[in-house]
Amino acid sequence: MENLNSEEKIIQDLLPQGFNKSGRIWTGILIALCLVGMFAYYRQLRYGLIVTSMRDYVSWGIYISNFVFFVAISLVGSLITAVFRLSKVEWSTPLTRIAEMIAVAAIIFASVIIIVDMGSPERFYNLFIHGRVQSPIIWDVIVITTYFFISILLLYFPLLPDIKILIGHKETKDHRFKYLFKFYNFLGSFWKGTPEQFKLSERAINILCITIIPVAFSIHTVTSWLFATTYRPGWDSTNFGAYFISGAFLVGGGAVLVAMYVFRKAYHLEKYITEDHFEKMGKMVVLLALLYLYFNINEYLVPAFKMKKSEEAHLTGLFTGEFAPLFWFAILVGMILPIIILLFKKGRKPLPVFIAGIMVVVGAWFKRYLIVTPTLLHPFLPMTNVPESYRHYFPSWEEWAIAIGSLAGALLVITILARIFPIIPIHETLTEQHETAE
Amino acid sequence: MKLLNKKIITLFSIVFLLAGYDGLSQDAQKGDLNISLSSFISNNKIPYVVAKVKTKIDGKFQMVSGINLNLFLDKDSAGTLIAKVVTNEKGEALAVIPPSLKNEWASTINHTFLATFDGNQKYEASKADVTVIKAKILIDTTSDRKVTATFLEMKDTAWTPVKGVELKIAVKRFDADLSVNETATFTTDSLGQASADFKRDSIPGDSKGNIILVAKVEDNDQYGNLSIEQTVPWGSKFAGENNFYKRTLFATRDKAPVWLLLMAYSIVIVVWGILFSLVDTIFKIKKLGQQIKS
Repeated sequence: MENLNSEEKIIQDLLPQGFNKSGRIWTGILIALCLVGMFAYYRQLRYGLIVTSMRDYVSWGIYISNFVFFVAISLVGSLITAVFRLSKVEWSTPLTRIAEMIAVAAIIFASVIIIVDMGSPERFYNLFIHGRVQSPIIWDVIVITTYFFISILLLYFPLLPDIKILIGHKETKDHRFKYLFKFYNFLGSFWKGTPEQFKLSERAINILCITIIPVAFSIHTVTSWLFATTYRPGWDSTNFGAYFISGAFLVGGGAVLVAMYVFRKAYHLEKYITEDHFEKMGKMVVLLALLYLYFNINEYLVPAFKMKKSEEAHLTGLFTGEFAPLFWFAILVGMILPIIILLFKKGRKPLPVFIAGIMVVVGAWFKRYLIVTPTLLHPFLPMTNVPESYRHYFPSWEEWAIAIGSLAGALLVITILARIFPIIPIHETLTEQHETAE
Repeated sequence: MKLLNKKIITLFSIVFLLAGYDGLSQDAQKGDLNISLSSFISNNKIPYVVAKVKTKIDGKFQMVSGINLNLFLDKDSAGTLIAKVVTNEKGEALAVIPPSLKNEWASTINHTFLATFDGNQKYEASKADVTVIKAKILIDTTSDRKVTATFLEMKDTAWTPVKGVELKIAVKRFDADLSVNETATFTTDSLGQASADFKRDSIPGDSKGNIILVAKVEDNDQYGNLSIEQTVPWGSKFAGENNFYKRTLFATRDKAPVWLLLMAYSIVIVVWGILFSLVDTIFKIKKLGQQIKS
């Protein structure tokens, strides 16, 4: 009887909750930002890419920075769900769904922003009719589609037992949520929780966990090759694949730190996302930050030591020139300060971990901007007889609005997913509870 | 009195302001244009004239584009207009003598080309002329690879050989002409001829070994520019290697390397095969659930 009460308590705690006042304000702000972004996109469609600040030299601006950022953050799905699961890291159970939701939202908006960058969206069609299998751009299209599909499946399979709980629970039968109830029925009314169903589901999840790791590595490596296969200062590197993957792991970890804190606070999940989770994820992020820092040192110190004439302008622009404040901000705030904070036990308490997570994510966004833009402003051949606007790049308001709108869109998708589905897997938590009790 | 003072002050103010107004001031000093004319005859066909326009800026000559020129044959009149031309970004304009001036061209043995510029807001009006004697150049080759160029001018009604004309006998290449032997230029004899032995045996020609020989007179004060070409099979056969239609990483989409296609398609087929099998698993799970229901 006590067990039943305890189970009911867990279910009650973990059922998706409606938006309270702050939830509605948060959602309203995100929708408003998305609408502003859509208006800016309308202007881009109406007047063309001329409304952006991208010109002949900087043809990849914050859209592509944003794309690389989204691709990077989506790696978290494979880290938390697949790597931890296959390594039998049991403490990660409450974090798996958060990670998968972030991955799905990020990969959706990675695809959206790449279409925005094309200018006219119908050009996307040209990728299929004129695309060359020799081009990393086509590999990126294939691998992003694959990763999106795997992420959806990896979100869906572990959800099935939870959907049964949701359907069976009286609150979801409330007439106010009849469409939600229908949606749950559509998704998983067939799940009866039989051993055969569990066996099939477990097998599918294991296959997905194994498949997602090479696909995740491919998506980040291929994205890095979009740059590394182009002969330009700052991109001409054999280090780029590993550099991108380590950076993606770090930003994904940082995003989970932030999401853990926010969901824990908003939904009062202190019993499920404990300080121990922050402690362990904090240590994990220190490791990832050190790894990324190592690749950064490789990426910048070696070329700086040689200081080839053709790369000098690019490198000095980053170290001491016009991009220096951003560069050192990304290195310090995105890597070094989070390492310092998270190295200490007191730094691995929820609030400092949250702050370190924010630093990692913000630093990572600017890091992507620094990978994309300064290189384009320093071509091997000197710029001659070009308008002054070609020599500098600062995004137009439309670009900012679209980029911020896409970030808000990704957060909105996460918010909606968290409203519809349990943030923490209910069934797995109950199973773990049983195993602990036994 | 006060009113009068005010009016005088107002008047002076207006005059003072107008004095500073550019629109009422005299035009700034205009620049001078330097026009040069050259006549050309290639392969003894229709002559054409090239005008080059430059001006001195900061002590250096620079070509001027967008200058409207009227080009005439012999005299500045509507009936002898060759063409109205505009200089390009290199400051050059070209015009071929039109059929309407055929009789005018045939009427005398020497001609004057005229170029006039009427002036504009930036430059003063300017004109230039160049006079040339009608001439032609012939080229001949022998089986022992000797090239002979003959230079003739029109005297009265007959073509007459000209002695002492400096010309080049060369092989036409992409960027410049390569002399047929070590001698850079040749001078015609009393027969109007200059001969040269061809000593560029290993020079690459086209796929059949054809090369183009050229004999030309350049910037001659009396005759202008004349040239003639002849194709001879004296070069080595050149079979250029063309990778364009081969399967390479940089080829078009239908020419992707086979190894890449195999790798890419096998990866895609394996991964998506797994994913479709997982979708099939969903249907299996669904079927199991429905069996329990029934």
